[in-house]
Amino acid sequence: MTENSDDITELRPGLWDTVNDRYPGSMITKADLIPLAKAAKPLSASRLTFVSTSGVQRRGTMPFDTVHPVGDYTFRRVPSDSKPGDLEIHQLKYPTVGAKRDLNVIFPIERLRDLVNEGFIGGLTDNFYTFIGYNMDAERLERTLAEDIAAAVEAEKPDVVLLAPA
Amino acid sequence: MFLPFMMGHHFGVPFHVELQKRIIKEALRRIKLAENSGDIYHFPMTWAQARTEGKEIERLRVG
Repeated sequence: MTENSDDITELRPGLWDTVNDRYPGSMITKADLIPLAKAAKPLSASRLTFVSTSGVQRRGTMPFDTVHPVGDYTFRRVPSDSKPGDLEIHQLKYPTVGAKRDLNVIFPIERLRDLVNEGFIGGLTDNFYTFIGYNMDAERLERTLAEDIAAAVEAEKPDVVLLAPA
Repeated sequence: MFLPFMMGHHFGVPFHVELQKRIIKEALRRIKLAENSGDIYHFPMTWAQARTEGKEIERLRVG
């Protein structure tokens, strides 16, 4: 304890004010927001796809490069009828203690099928899409990976896309 | 939708099927309920609550 220990002070004040100062271009600003899109049909009649940064992929497919210094800008298709046992995680940047016991905590493939069976969602696309979230070049990600996934998703013609980080 | 959960657990805790489904449903409800682009909805549950419920589910599974 010191006489100032109750004070809330920055250890390095003024170093940078936002993450964007430290990693320019990495943060979305209000100016980047696109107009809100309203659903054209009810969820119960909509086909959904899922896009995740979890690094989940089918066993036997090319593993994501989890140790490349600037990241891996590729994506994988994961068939939406896969069993959790058919899948594995290639990502080091988040704790997988829960996902190793129940993959649905990060990649809820069984729960999405449950919601289709319950009629909450109309259906699923043939594939879901994954990549790894640790990519240090935001501009490259936007120019390559984001465009590649967008094109692949669009080709499956979903009505709704659920996006989730890991 | 923002969840104050541990990284790697954005859909809840292991074997908590109802919580996992509830999180997906709440996220998808934002399609109708969001008023503006960029709106953030805070899921009304703490990580401690999720963990407590998860532990009880695991206790019943083992038992």
